[in-house]
Amino acid sequence: MGSKSKDPLLEIQNLSTSFHTDENVVRSVRNINLCLYPGETVALVGESGCGKSVTALSTMRLIPIPPGKFENGRILYKGKDLLQITEQDMQKIRGNEISMVFQEPMTSLNPIFTIGDQICETILLHQNKTEDEAMELTLEILKKVAIPSPEQRINQYPHELSGGMKQRVMIAMSIVCNPSLLIADEPTTALDVTIQAQILDLLNVLRNDTAMSILLITHNLGIVAQYSDRVAVMYSGKIVEQASVEKIFASPSHPYTKGLINSLPKDEINEKLATIPGTVPHPAFLPEGCAFHPRCPDKIDACEKKIPELQPLENQPSHQVACWLYHDSVSIT
Amino acid sequence: MKTLLKVQSLKKYFPVYGGLLSRIKGFVKAVDDVSFEIKEGETLGLVGESGCGKTTVGRMTLRLLEPTSGKVFFEGTDIIGLKNKELEMIRPKMQIIFQDPYSSLNPRFTTERIIGEALSAHGLAKGNTLQKKIESLMEKVGLSKIYMNRFPHEFSGGQRQRIGIARALALNPKYIVCDEPVSALDVSIQAQIINLLQSLQKEDNLSLLFISHDLNVVKHLSQRTAVMYLGKIVEVVPTKLLNTKAAHPYTQALLNSKPSLNPTDRRRPKPLQGDVPSPLNPPLGCHFHPRCPEVMERCKTEIPRHIKLEDGHFVSCHLYND
Repeated sequence: MGSKSKDPLLEIQNLSTSFHTDENVVRSVRNINLCLYPGETVALVGESGCGKSVTALSTMRLIPIPPGKFENGRILYKGKDLLQITEQDMQKIRGNEISMVFQEPMTSLNPIFTIGDQICETILLHQNKTEDEAMELTLEILKKVAIPSPEQRINQYPHELSGGMKQRVMIAMSIVCNPSLLIADEPTTALDVTIQAQILDLLNVLRNDTAMSILLITHNLGIVAQYSDRVAVMYSGKIVEQASVEKIFASPSHPYTKGLINSLPKDEINEKLATIPGTVPHPAFLPEGCAFHPRCPDKIDACEKKIPELQPLENQPSHQVACWLYHDSVSIT
Repeated sequence: MKTLLKVQSLKKYFPVYGGLLSRIKGFVKAVDDVSFEIKEGETLGLVGESGCGKTTVGRMTLRLLEPTSGKVFFEGTDIIGLKNKELEMIRPKMQIIFQDPYSSLNPRFTTERIIGEALSAHGLAKGNTLQKKIESLMEKVGLSKIYMNRFPHEFSGGQRQRIGIARALALNPKYIVCDEPVSALDVSIQAQIINLLQSLQKEDNLSLLFISHDLNVVKHLSQRTAVMYLGKIVEVVPTKLLNTKAAHPYTQALLNSKPSLNPTDRRRPKPLQGDVPSPLNPPLGCHFHPRCPEVMERCKTEIPRHIKLEDGHFVSCHLYND
């Protein structure tokens, strides 16, 4: 668990990222605030297209510009604004202090290099090591991520490995420089359930060993419940609720969070599932006010007019919600 | 309840070619001796990891794939031996809903044509009646009829899956294979489609073979659950006993690896070690033995047979031999 007394490792302030296409402007991330403390795992949850991955890619500064554009905001990493530094400085941070595990291990590895070469590349780029030393470190890191017979595997090509093995290689590559922050973008979505559990347990062990922070991006609420300390729920480019994992599951406050948790199949057989009616709005044509209001069961007049911002609930500074149902009560007291 | 579909020792071996003259090098035993039955109005869940043969089984029950050997009885007739003409008579009663609503709809067809194609192909309706029928199908799956002239790319994933369902329902089938119909959809949309399938099943007394890798979804929908591993069914269990009486170590491992939704309970059992072996070269004996936490000597050489534990509950595992 991250202790809140320390300074945050990563602080995203009022970040907006949008994409300017010929026809319209897609505002993928709209004014979000998010903090990560050293050693904690924060889960970023939401449905496809809600801006989870754009948030991650913005942090890594991997958004193609143009068509992408950082409209406003800051991304403070150890107090330094990542959006202001030069590309050269960013390259020193990327893969070294902040690294990323992508969703698809099948397509994120280069098919024409051995996995040993690919991990070595990262080491040689960021650390002052000879090739032999780098190879040694590669072997060590492959052992750490529990790849069987690493001496042989190190000389193999990605196609010779299973999906789970490839994801282990991706993880090895991303932790080889001892990053302080690991961004895991749907690290197990492409994998089978029994392999999923292996990979997530591995990430958890690595976090406990090295005290790195993890930003875990997922749409799977089971993974959120089991592997995160705090949760931020995203909808249409905004964080709509943020709290500790226990709070999110025990007392979800935003109608969208409630809907998500209720719509999961539970153990009762043949009972009707609760649903959220309608579909996610197109990010270029968002409704006025709160983007969730057309699907919201608890909609009030204010929802159609003004966008609610993330604010703490009464007497609970760590539980924040962006919803007019709660803001009114906050402003009255 | 009457048995609608009965599958007997179904096998599908895909040849693997290799070498200079592209001779047959070996076989991938995608489905190896699978038997089960589905009653009228029943949902059988079929779970397993990718590559275990779930989809191959589903397609063979419709004869979209020719089995290497085995029998498929639909309402008492073995459809494997049928000629094309005879098969055509039975086909309307069996349908399929595909996993990916993005690639299973023809992008150049309007919704109207996609849903109505089967009806006109079988000569069941035309002109005004066809139009009316399509309208009522769209209404049944929760699509407004104003979307009739739109193309698939104009719809969201959930709406496309509704079109796929309407297409499957067009001929009033008795049996539908649902091949991972919700895995490509978001959670909130998943629940809508699951509810829709469930209410349609009740309305029309449909029998479903529900293929999925998501145990939660299968548990929610099906009366019985069959678990597959490397081409074989390792356990068939009434779904209400799944939590308490799952017998096969693989079924237990699947149940255990599903992350619990309770953040205060983080007693995570140790996940299953290793990977699924290649079906080209499966382990001898019980295919699961290299990963099994309870492996015994005989598992390494002897293929376990189906053992009946109680009514409707079968397992193939040496642990349960006397």
